[in-house]
Parts: sequence; C-alpha cells; structure tokens
Amino acid sequence: MPSIPTHSFAWVTLGMGCSVTWAAVALSDDLPLGMAMPCRLEGRDLAVWRSASGQAFVWGDRCPHRGMRLSQGFVRGEALSCIYHGWRYGHDGGCVYIPAHPDLVPPKSICATTYKCGEADGLIWAALEETTETIPPVPTGIPVRSMQVDAAISQVALHFGAPGETLITLQNQHPVTIALQPVDDTCTAMHISTTERHHRKAVSRWLEQQRAEIESAAA
Amino acid sequence: MNGNSANFWYPVAMCSGIDAARETLLLGQPISLGPSGGTFWVRDAAGKDLPVIERYGHLWTSPGRPNRDLFSIPEAEAPGRRLVDCGSIKVKCSPLRAVENFLDIAHFPFVHTDILGAEPHTEVERYDVEIREEIDEVWATRVKFYQPQAAKSAEGGITTDYMYRVAAPTVAVLYKTCPPKPGEWDIITLFVQPLTEEWCEVWPWMALYDDESAHADMVSFQQLIFMQDRSILENQIPRKLPLDPGMEVPTQADMTSVAYRRWLKKLGYTYGAQVVAA
Repeated sequence: MPSIPTHSFAWVTLGMGCSVTWAAVALSDDLPLGMAMPCRLEGRDLAVWRSASGQAFVWGDRCPHRGMRLSQGFVRGEALSCIYHGWRYGHDGGCVYIPAHPDLVPPKSICATTYKCGEADGLIWAALEETTETIPPVPTGIPVRSMQVDAAISQVALHFGAPGETLITLQNQHPVTIALQPVDDTCTAMHISTTERHHRKAVSRWLEQQRAEIESAAA
Repeated sequence: MNGNSANFWYPVAMCSGIDAARETLLLGQPISLGPSGGTFWVRDAAGKDLPVIERYGHLWTSPGRPNRDLFSIPEAEAPGRRLVDCGSIKVKCSPLRAVENFLDIAHFPFVHTDILGAEPHTEVERYDVEIREEIDEVWATRVKFYQPQAAKSAEGGITTDYMYRVAAPTVAVLYKTCPPKPGEWDIITLFVQPLTEEWCEVWPWMALYDDESAHADMVSFQQLIFMQDRSILENQIPRKLPLDPGMEVPTQADMTSVAYRRWLKKLGYTYGAQVVAA
C-alpha cells in the first residue's frame, strides 16, 4: 500500500484539457554517450540521443528522407545519422550531410522534427509543445530504474494517491520520487529515484509490486 | 481491395516447396494452394479456382482479370545459368516498400556494410531512369556502385554495374555485373506476395553464372542481405509507401524510387500505398 504523498507537483491536470508540459522520458544513466534509443510520449514516436559531448536531444523518430526511425541510427560526434542512408543531422535537427551526394550542401528544408529537451536530477525531460516552464526539481537524487506499466497515467497517479499529478514523492520505508511519462492512452512509464544507493534493490522490487497491483486493478 | 490491384499476377509459393495443400493470404484475402498430378492449383476462399502460371521457380496467380501476361526475363533462360530458389522471408511492411528498398543502392554502405557497400564509397553517381511506355515498366540503367563483396563469387572490392527493372507493381528484377563472366549479367529478382497492405512475403530468386558456390552458401548470402533489409523495412514510418510528394524528401540518388512511385500512381495501384499525406 503506497503511503500518502508529501511532496508533489501538479504539472498535469488530466481530463481538463491541459497537457503535460515537461515529461520525464528516460533516466540519464540509461542513455550513454553516443547512443540513440526509441521512446514514446503521448502516442508520439520519439528518438532520444546523446552526443559525444554529452548533450541529450529528443526528436521525432522519423528521418524525413524515407521515414526510417532515427532511434535506430548512429551517433558520430555531435550528429545523429539515419541508419538507412546515413543522412546526418546536427543539433538543430537540420540535415548537414547526405552520403550519396558528398559535395551537396543539403537544403535547409531537410530537417528532423525537434522537441525541447532538458536534463536535471538524473532524468531526461521532453516537452512536446513550446513551454516557458522550468523542469520540476526531483528531491531524491539517486535514480533507480524506469518501468512501463499497462495502465493510463491517470490510473497510475490515482494508485499512488496523487490524482492528476506526474511527479510524485512518497515517504515510504525508503523515500522515492516517481516521474510519470504518458506513453500513450494505455501505457505509462515510471521513472523512480530514491535517496540512498543501497536502497535501490528494495525500491526496484517495491516498484515491481506496484506495477502488478496497478495492472491487476486495471484488468 | 484497393484500386486495380486484383488484376495483376502475384507469386504465392516456390514450386519446389509445395508438397501439400496449404493456406496463405493474397491482398488480404485467404487463398489455398497445393499440388495436383505434377501441377498446382490455387483457390480463393469461396473455393473458386484461380488461374495459375509456373514460372521462374514460383507459382503465380491472380484473383482478378490480369490485363497483361506475366512478365518474362529472356536472359534467365540462357543455357549455363544456375536457377536458385531462395525460399522466402516475411516482412512486416508494405509490399511496395519492400520493392522500393530493392531498387535502392544508396543504403548499401549503411545497411549491408562491408558486403554490398562501405564508407567512404557512398556516392551515387547520376544514372538513367525511364518509364518505358511501350512495355509499361520502370527501368534504371547505367547504375554503378563500389562494392566490397558484390556476390558470393566475388573476391575483393569491385565497381559493380547494375540495371533495375520493375516488371510489375510487386516484382523487381536486378541485373548486375557477373564476377566470373564479364559481359554477362547476373539476375536477382524480388518477387513480393502482398499478404496485406502492411505485411508481405518476399521470394528472392536468382539466375546466375556461378559453378563454384554451394547452393546453401548462395542462399545464406541472400538471406543475410534480406535480413539486413528487414531491419530497415520494419522500422519505416508509415508502414505504407507514401505516393504523394511532400511526406518524404528524395534526392538525385532516389530517381528510381521517384519513378516507381510515379508509375504506381499512374497505374492507379494503391494497395500498400499511402495516398493522402498524414
């Protein structure tokens, strides 16, 4: 049984026409240098990647050339390349190189879809719409894991006694913060962190129990 | 069923692999097929016999009224060629995306790395593409590409010459430099069976001058290539092939793909195609 939240942020008011401004999409530790990976947010396919210098990016998961998922691509230096034909995209999403035509300067119109991305407290955050909000602080500094649960975000928030919220802090035996990511209408990702490294195993097991409870309640 | 797709011939089996009756899908509809006294039959879900042709190692049928004969590949019938059945691979993509990928060379260095292409040899030189009105086929000629290992029989890198031909909406034929026999073309085909608009069974077939390679090695070489292609084809968004310009951005290297899309549009062939930009 989850305890009563003592510290939470109402970044989302679900069912009232507001959408998530910032959503956690991954733990920083799960995205090493030079790596790209797929992610979904509100039903949208995204590519999350990290350049050689360490900057994280969140883009639409589609190369404008032939629709290939950019999350399957490869990172060299500060650019993400599509695995299909090697088209290379720089920080702003603009295509900078087309290997089939090495001497061509790609037109500015060839551009991946980019989203606002930020990183704080061990989490990578994305905003699908322009926002002036800042990324919410996470009070627990030790990231544990990410886990998907087959339930809508509203059900997950309700389960933790924090309806309508996406960042939930609980004073359990081990204090935890759970950042909720609305993957789509039927799936939610939970990114959990705690206060001490040696709590991680227990917190991880606890979250697995929560998932089982949420899914059996939703079934 | 979309547009006029019923009125074309489609591969539904490799003849040498039909040992008993079985079911499959064609254009989203269940069909059955099987052997019968040295030949084969195909029936639709209502039990009606469909026309059959055995050609190039495969069994072909059509659920509609084909307005043209099944294509032919005269070069494949020359003596001395080995005709190689390769089996099939099912791919979760539009049959048209599978054909388009087969017509594409610019992906070789990235998808078939160190086999059909390798960096830094990524440039695609200008080649010729035309829709041959008299036979209503798409042809790309004078295509050249540097390849580290162009075929099972190739040793070391060579610049390979290619011709591509789209003989039917889901049939493509590739003619390429034949390492052991300069002046002749190796023939590699891609016969695609549209199971649904977003799922297909791909039947590669080859007619080669190669007396050396073991059959199993030739087949596993082709299977390796198609498994690599599948990792692309199952990750394209949308799964259907966009026919309207605007959704995807071609370059000069994509002239064959551009002509293929234009030709499909002209035919009114929309099965597996996305005609309205999403």
